Amino acid sequence: MSEMKPIIQVKNLCVNIKMDEGLLTPVRGVDFEIYPGETLGLVGESGCGKSLTSKAILAINDKKCQSTGEILFRDENDEIVDIIALEKASKRREFLGFRKAKPGEADKKTAIRRLRTIRGKQISMIFQEPMVAFSPMYTIGNQINEATLLHITKDPVASKQITLDMMKMVGIANAEKRYDQYPHEFSGGMLQRALISMALVCKPRLLIADEPTTALDVTIQAQILELMQELQKELGMAILFITHDLGTVAKMCDRVAVMYLGKIVETGTAKEIYKNPQHPYTKGLMGSVHKIGTLKQDKLFSIDGTVPLALNLQPGCGFYERCTERIEGVCDKIDPENVCLGGSHCVACHRCKKEAE
Amino acid sequence: MALFKKKTTKDESYYMASQWTLMWRKLQKHQLAKVSLVILAILYIGALFADFFAPYGLEEFSALYKNTAPTKIYWKDEDGNFTRPYVYGLTKVNDRATFTVKITEDTSKKYYISFFTEGIEYKLFGVIPTNIHLYGLVDEEGNPARDHNGKALARINIFGADSTGACIYSRILFGGRVSLTIPFVSAAISFVLGILLGGISGYFGGIVDNVIQRIIEVLSAIPSIPLWMALSAAIPPDIPVSAMYLYITIILSFIGWTGLARVVRGKFISLRKEDYVTAARLAGVSDIKIITKHLVPGFLSYLIVNLTLGIPGSILGETSMSYLGLGMKAPATSWGVLLKETEDLISVAQCPWKMIPLIFVVITVLAFNFLGDGLRDAADPYK
Amino acid sequence: MTDQQKHELILQVRNVSKVFSSKGVNVKAVTNVSFDVHKGETIGIVGESGCGKTTLGRCIVRAIEASNGEVIYKTLAGEEVNFLTLDKKQMKPVRKEIQMIFQDPYSSLDPRMTVLDIIGEPIKANYPKMPKAEREAMVKDIAAKVGLNTTYLMRYPHAFSGGQRQRIGIARALILKPQVIVCDEAVSALDVSIQAQIINLLKDLQREMELTYIFISHDLSVVEHISDKVGVMYLGKMVEFGETEKLFANPKHPYTEALLSAVPVADPEVEMDRIPLKGEIPNPANPPSGCYFHERCSYCTERCKTEVPELREVDGRMVACHRAEELSLRGFDYSTVE
Repeated sequence: MSEMKPIIQVKNLCVNIKMDEGLLTPVRGVDFEIYPGETLGLVGESGCGKSLTSKAILAINDKKCQSTGEILFRDENDEIVDIIALEKASKRREFLGFRKAKPGEADKKTAIRRLRTIRGKQISMIFQEPMVAFSPMYTIGNQINEATLLHITKDPVASKQITLDMMKMVGIANAEKRYDQYPHEFSGGMLQRALISMALVCKPRLLIADEPTTALDVTIQAQILELMQELQKELGMAILFITHDLGTVAKMCDRVAVMYLGKIVETGTAKEIYKNPQHPYTKGLMGSVHKIGTLKQDKLFSIDGTVPLALNLQPGCGFYERCTERIEGVCDKIDPENVCLGGSHCVACHRCKKEAE
Repeated sequence: MALFKKKTTKDESYYMASQWTLMWRKLQKHQLAKVSLVILAILYIGALFADFFAPYGLEEFSALYKNTAPTKIYWKDEDGNFTRPYVYGLTKVNDRATFTVKITEDTSKKYYISFFTEGIEYKLFGVIPTNIHLYGLVDEEGNPARDHNGKALARINIFGADSTGACIYSRILFGGRVSLTIPFVSAAISFVLGILLGGISGYFGGIVDNVIQRIIEVLSAIPSIPLWMALSAAIPPDIPVSAMYLYITIILSFIGWTGLARVVRGKFISLRKEDYVTAARLAGVSDIKIITKHLVPGFLSYLIVNLTLGIPGSILGETSMSYLGLGMKAPATSWGVLLKETEDLISVAQCPWKMIPLIFVVITVLAFNFLGDGLRDAADPYK
Repeated sequence: MTDQQKHELILQVRNVSKVFSSKGVNVKAVTNVSFDVHKGETIGIVGESGCGKTTLGRCIVRAIEASNGEVIYKTLAGEEVNFLTLDKKQMKPVRKEIQMIFQDPYSSLDPRMTVLDIIGEPIKANYPKMPKAEREAMVKDIAAKVGLNTTYLMRYPHAFSGGQRQRIGIARALILKPQVIVCDEAVSALDVSIQAQIINLLKDLQREMELTYIFISHDLSVVEHISDKVGVMYLGKMVEFGETEKLFANPKHPYTEALLSAVPVADPEVEMDRIPLKGEIPNPANPPSGCYFHERCSYCTERCKTEVPELREVDGRMVACHRAEELSLRGFDYSTVE
């Protein structure tokens, strides 16, 4: 895949939130890239910063969250845009013509317009709770059609046809009838399908799926995962798949990035991560899940302690306190660097670095 | 002042902090609420010690000072040298040219402003007899500026005088006693009735709930102003005015509990479904214990918020009733009675200082609203 | 524990049903569920949302009252009682023997009480005369057992993380030394690594205190890990009940088969070969005729559409399917054990 150009490159992304108690750093220097047609799984426990990362890509984080770093997105014209620079430009306070854009900076209005064409059209998102992603006041068709009208065509007849086609594509039977129904008339699985059709109707080049199946039952989850895989094949989009569920990641993803306390601690192909985890956290995570069909261990492997709060963090490995393989004097003082173990497998761990040398 | 001390949230005292401590801390982060709390404290202290803070008693008025502007305070003597602040008394002068009586300053005698001077006698807290006031006037020898009958020779009215010639500042303080406390009477009655009936409604459900809810609907359909007018006409005029006002307030608060009862009922129902209540039930905890230990503490903070936000309404209610002449009547004093002086445009135009009580009403109402707002944010410290 | 004790029947759930009615619509949340629980076992109850597993659990502990049925419980004193019909007075001594652990570690602890009070509350209710010092000693003892730092007992719940809160909930359920504990999705709200901690803790406590668990969860891999026997529920009915490994390796009910095939295994090399289910879970207010599953079942016959299958024994297992004997269904392959 090396000859392909990545569709998105995230470089040293940080998200900071200033609070009364100090600086909260839920995302602390995240790097990854996604190539066209591939699925990257972003795995981690609650509070590791995976959702904030995905929202930073769409520049839809809260006002109090400040993103720094670079998010380089390759748009359909093969042009590279930095989403963070756009976000900054769009949020710049302009007052009666004062504080105009400096040379090299995007103009505020252009930046806002540019962000809008990227959001929804080029990058779109599926949320965890389909029940709250739709407004109960409008019909499902109406809400999906909104995106079509905004980004594809202004013609209401053509637009409705495109919307209906998309609804059929995601497996909503009887789409013409369903178009005029309200969200409460849909089941959870059907709503998630509708949400997917809303995200895909503009044929985005990157789809961010934030825990798309967590709220669903197992049998429905399997259906949705299969649907996403089929649609990916058909439309060729890249997927950033965010979840805490190691099972769905194994099914869905080509490459996996494991996040802990705002940093990616290990990346690699799904096989590398699952068969040969190197970072002590990844190992712990893999050991914590019981695989059906394997011999029952008496005890599950478990990581002691709890995830610390990302408040006023000092340098050093974030996993230090819970790690069983820590090196005193090194892991608690110095931020671990990324070590490549061949192929695409990289680990940020002092112990692994030592062994590699 | 401990109120303004800054604290970090993540120390051990935070972990050991009870609900009320957490609420208090959250409230402290709400600057407006904090300022409001201080303002309210000042107002209530002022009302409580009105006899002391006010230079004149309620019955002290002087026809000479009718509708006079705030007393002018002099800092310099005739030669332009700084001196103790002093005022002049007033005197009647016949204007020979127009044949009218003019009231002018009597510059023949200076009265100095003095603190902790003797004035009219009163009983502090209704028990301790004293005659010391925060400030007053003395003559050059340091004797109180009063004649042998205790009548004031000259007056200092910092907010001016009303149509009877009484000090508006003093009357605001005394009026605060009524205007700031009566709302609490109705709040207290609403509180008890609201918790009781709302609680019964929410806990037992079924028919009891249905009956109480229908009663609430009927009561909230009764318009309160006509009722107030009818009551104020029906109560015999020979009872004291403030007592009569209290009765009306009590009667009205028997209607006013309905909103609170609904809040209590709703909270009761939602809290009853919480897992920790189920857990207590499964552990064999009795119903009474569940209500007193889990349910009531669970919504008490919300009730306080509701009450705080309800008080401004009562204050304004009293003010407007008295203004309309349905509530308190002079000589009894309340802020509404004071505002009655501003009924006509001429008196407002000629004596703008008569609007000063209005400022107090506005400040009090705003302070209660801001405090309630802060309390609402703090009411659930676990979110 | 001797084998004989282990096989002692402690709980017999018989035809438990629960009907919720509102505005004239009756919804059968649980219909005629029966199963046996032996001492020291863990029974897993699995099913998708709305299948009635939580309602069933709550009926068993009497957090809600069942509409019908019996739960024959053998008390510590050795009597057999119907737990569901005991009145207040009879309930008093037995109540503490069946306890519950809740799903949400946040809403299950009263935020206005210290941990000491929360864990000690059941003692206060059941032994009101016990001196304070003794009660606090008991609380400390149980808190240490569930892995809580006993110096933090004066703290309020908001000082604790989800996993620690769940430990507090477990301590509260255990302080009365119960026999049976219903765990209602006890680990579902927790992160994976914390889940493992709590599951290990539950297993340790079971061994130490001779506990019997009814473990309700939608997570099949957790249930497979912790349970000795598993019951699969669909639309308020128990469709299959049997020993865990047998049931997972060789399901007898088509719904179990479909459910198992949908579980994503945390291994990228294992291909998911899902057995597709037609349609969606029917509305429980208006269930289909015959077998509730027939509309979605790929093995459906005419008989399934009209005749309701009873739960019956097939090969040492309880199955509610007309074709249980003839069908050969796919489960997990336990032969490829690593």
